[in-house]
Amino acid sequence: MSRKEHPIWEDELMPFIDGQLDEERASAIAHHVKDCSECSATVADTRKMSDQLAWEVEEPSGRMKERVQAEVRSRKAIPQTRVAWWTRNRVWAFGLSAAFVGVVLVFALRTPDTVVLQWDKKTGASPQAPLTGVVVQPGQQGQFGGQQGQGQQGQQGQQGQAGGMLGRFELERAQQGGQRQQPGQGGKPQISPSFASPDSGPMIVRSARLTIVTRNFDKARSRIEEIAQQSQGYLGQLTAQENAGLAKRLSATLRLPSMQMERALVELRKLGSVKDESQNNSDVTAQSVDLQARITNSRNTEQRLLNLLRERTGRLPDVIDAEREVARVREDIERMEAQQKDIFSRVQYATVQVELSEEYRAAIETGVPGVGTRFRNAAIKGYEDARESVVSVALFAVRYGPVCLLWSPMIALAVVLLRRAHRVLSD
Amino acid sequence: MQSDEQLMGEFQNGSEKAFDELFERYKKLVYGFFRRRMSNAARAEELAQETFIAILRGAERYEPRARFRTYVFAIAMKQLWSERREEMRAGRVDAEAEEASSQSDPATVLWIRGALEQLDADRREVLMLREYEQLTYEEISEVLVLPVNTVRSRLSRARHDLKALLESQSANGVSR
Repeated sequence: MSRKEHPIWEDELMPFIDGQLDEERASAIAHHVKDCSECSATVADTRKMSDQLAWEVEEPSGRMKERVQAEVRSRKAIPQTRVAWWTRNRVWAFGLSAAFVGVVLVFALRTPDTVVLQWDKKTGASPQAPLTGVVVQPGQQGQFGGQQGQGQQGQQGQQGQAGGMLGRFELERAQQGGQRQQPGQGGKPQISPSFASPDSGPMIVRSARLTIVTRNFDKARSRIEEIAQQSQGYLGQLTAQENAGLAKRLSATLRLPSMQMERALVELRKLGSVKDESQNNSDVTAQSVDLQARITNSRNTEQRLLNLLRERTGRLPDVIDAEREVARVREDIERMEAQQKDIFSRVQYATVQVELSEEYRAAIETGVPGVGTRFRNAAIKGYEDARESVVSVALFAVRYGPVCLLWSPMIALAVVLLRRAHRVLSD
Repeated sequence: MQSDEQLMGEFQNGSEKAFDELFERYKKLVYGFFRRRMSNAARAEELAQETFIAILRGAERYEPRARFRTYVFAIAMKQLWSERREEMRAGRVDAEAEEASSQSDPATVLWIRGALEQLDADRREVLMLREYEQLTYEEISEVLVLPVNTVRSRLSRARHDLKALLESQSANGVSR
C-alpha cells in the first residue's frame, strides 16, 4: 500500500492514540481512521489492549507518610534568600566564593612567616635564626656546623663547642624530648615548633625542584647564594656551564632549614620565569620511630652483655665470643645512629634543586672585521692577485715560449705554401 | 490550584505544607511505579519513601525549568535501577509470589505481570511509563534519557509484541 493510498503509518497512529500529535495532524488522522477499516481496527485493538493492561495499585500504607513527614520536619526550611540568591545570582555566588578562597589562600601562604615571627618573639632571637625541629645543644651544634660549613649554624657550632660535646645518648634523649635550646641562653629549655621529633608530630622530609629562565644570569646566580645565606642554609652543590653560542646554565642544590623553605621558594621564583616546579613531602616518622626502637633494643642488649662480662668469669673462648658480640652490637648501634642522624638532618634541612638557565640572546659576532680593515684586506688581496697573475703569465711564457718559438716558423711556412697553391689553382 | 512546580518553589522557600500537598499528589503514583515493577510490596513502599526523601534532600538543586513530574519519575527510575543493580550483585531475583494486596484481581495482576515480563526490557519500560504513569513521549524521553523518536518506536514495537502475545494466548485458549 503506497503513501498516497494509505497516508497514515503505524508510527503516527500510536502518537494519535496517545494524544501526542498536534491538533491539525490529529484531525487529519482521525478523518482517515474513520474511513480506513485497517487503521480503525488498529486503534481499537490498541485501546482494548490498554484497557486489558489496567492495573490498579493499592494505597501505600500510612507509615510511608509518617516517615516522609518526619523527614520534612527534621529538615530545616530552606531559607528563601539562599535559594533565590544561589539560583538567580550565580555570578555573585561564584565571585564571593572565589574571594573567600583567595582570602583563605593568602592566610595559608602567610602561615610559615607568622610561625617564625611568633617563635622569634618567644625566644627573643633574630628572625633570621634557624628554626630547627630537634634539640640544638651546643656540642651538637658544633657537629652540624662542621658539616655545613656555612651559615649561622656554623657560627652557633663554634659557640657551642665551648659547652663541650654532648654524648650521643644525650642527643637522642634530647631529640625525643622535642626541645630546643639556643646557644648562649644558659641551657634554658624552650618548646620548639618542632616537626622533627617523633613525639611532637610527623617528621617530614621536604624537597623542591625549580626550573627558572632568567634574563640576568649573573645577578640571579649571586642572588641564589644570598637566598641560601639569608635562609640560614647552604649551597650543597653548584655547577655552572658557559659555552659560546649557548645559553648559560646553572644547577644548584640548596639545603635550607625546612621552616624557611617556603620563604626561600618565594624568593627563588622572583629570579625569573618559572618553567617547572615540583615539591615533595615524605613522611619518615614511621622509619624514625622504628629505628629508635631498634637502637634502644640494641643498647639494652649491649648493656646486658657488658654486665655479663663484668660480673661473670668464664673460659677464654667464651669471653672472646662475648667481646665479639659486644663489638657487633656496638657496630649496629653506631650504624643505626648514623641513619637516625641522617633522617634528622633531612627533616631539618629541606633540599631545593634549582635549575637556572639564561634567556638566550644571539650576540653580534665580534670576530667580523671593520669596513676599513676589509678595504685594506681587499687592496692587499688585489695587489697579491695582480702580482700573482703577472707571475703566472711569466711562468707561462717561460714554460711554453720555447715550444711556440719552435713551431711558429714552421706553421708560418705551411700557411704561405698553402696560399700560393690556392692562388695557382684559382688562376 | 497550584501547579507542582509552584508548590516545589514554595517548599524551597520553607513551606512544609507545600511538600505535604506534593506528597499527597504523588504518593500513589510513585508507590504504583515501584509496586508494578516489583513483587515485594514492602520493598516497593520503601523505595517510594526513599524517592520522596531524595526529592526532599535535593530540593535545593531543583530548578523550575524541569517539570516536577519528570523530575519525580527520573529520581524514581534511578532508585529502581539502583535496586536492580543491587539485586544482581546480591544474586537476588524478584520472583516472589504476588502479594494479594493489589486492588486489581490477583489473577489479572499475575497475567499482566507475566505478559509484560515477556516483552523486551527496554520496550517494556517505555510501555509502562506510558500506560501506567501516563507520561508524554517527551517526558518519557527525559526520564529514560532517550530521543523522542526512540521512545515512539519502542512504544510502537512494545504494543506490537504485546498484541502478538495476546493473539497467541487467545489461540492457545489462555485468557484473562
